[in-house]
Amino acid sequence: MVDAEERLRALMIRSLAGDSSAYRALLTELGRHLGAYFSRRLGAGSAEPEDLVQDTLLAIHSRRATYDTARPFTAWVYAIARYKLADHFRRHGGARSVPVDDAADIFAPDDTNAAIAKSDVERMLATLPPSSAALVRRVRIEGDSVADTAAATGLSEASVKVGVHRGVKALAARFHGRKQP
Amino acid sequence: MTTSDLIDRLAGDLKPVPRGLLTRRLIIAIGAGAALSAAIMLLWLGPRPDSALAPGTFSYWMKFLYTLGLGLAGLAAAAKLARPAGTATGAAAAAALLVVALALLAALEMATAAPPDWPEMVMGATADRCPWRIIVLSLPLLAAALLAMRTFAPTRLALAGAAAGLVAGAFGAFIYAFACDETAAPFVAIWYSAGILASALIGALLGRPLLRW
Repeated sequence: MVDAEERLRALMIRSLAGDSSAYRALLTELGRHLGAYFSRRLGAGSAEPEDLVQDTLLAIHSRRATYDTARPFTAWVYAIARYKLADHFRRHGGARSVPVDDAADIFAPDDTNAAIAKSDVERMLATLPPSSAALVRRVRIEGDSVADTAAATGLSEASVKVGVHRGVKALAARFHGRKQP
Repeated sequence: MTTSDLIDRLAGDLKPVPRGLLTRRLIIAIGAGAALSAAIMLLWLGPRPDSALAPGTFSYWMKFLYTLGLGLAGLAAAAKLARPAGTATGAAAAAALLVVALALLAALEMATAAPPDWPEMVMGATADRCPWRIIVLSLPLLAAALLAMRTFAPTRLALAGAAAGLVAGAFGAFIYAFACDETAAPFVAIWYSAGILASALIGALLGRPLLRW
């Protein structure tokens, strides 16, 4: 997040001076971050995130004089994205308020869905006792066979199966119906 | 159009942005509004008749200083609120301090005067007209400030409008002070402040519909 801030801010300063190749690189990277952000907020599977990304890039372009170079750049981008998102909800009938997280929400260091999924999974596993978590991780996530896991952990195959089953049940009970962020 | 087509187009459209553009544009807008407002004041009210008060006294300058101070605080607030996620707590605090300072001065003036003098100090001769005249004179400034703000990117629209209204009301009151005969601190603290506050409220109401982008 700090790296993204330094790098993007430098690109923005060059862009404000008229450097169009820096600007192209900046907008391309911002487009990716914004796409992920809007998809998370709107739910994937519609054209809306792409429209919002384009709206936001246009706004960034036309209002670029409002960026104060003495202040954080990612916060400025995030404020514009939130404004456009709130505007979208307002126009498309939703009294949904946009949560104020911080700019790290858009500019997470590893932005891909896989990275998000992995960290979510690790957080979920951390709610289990370590032995259960280890079994679930080995069998269900890393794909080891029950036989290999039994050999590696010293448990019987039956114990491994029961342990995995219980761990998954516990996770489902804890996280079933959890609202999407 | 695909996003990358859009990016190509925007990059091709790129022109350098001069430093301090936002503040400069705001000041030019306020200046233009002030010129129009001053013209209206001269034609409508005319500068004040000679008064017994010499220009060397604090009483003479007090209302000019008060309104100018509020105008500058409003300008600082407007410049910050014109940017995404901008906040203007410092400027708001400065404005509040000025209001309190004048209120204390007014209390002091009344405390050192005889009670029979108090109605005169509070109402003067023009209490019923003063706030309305300030509002009228603030309108050209408000229009100019809002027009400038529309080229910026406020994310708190009512607050940004209120800041524009504060600038407009305060500088409108400054211009009005040239046509105004009153010098009692209680009068200024109440009726000038009322006109300026009304202008800020008008700005706040107009902010939400007019400042969208």
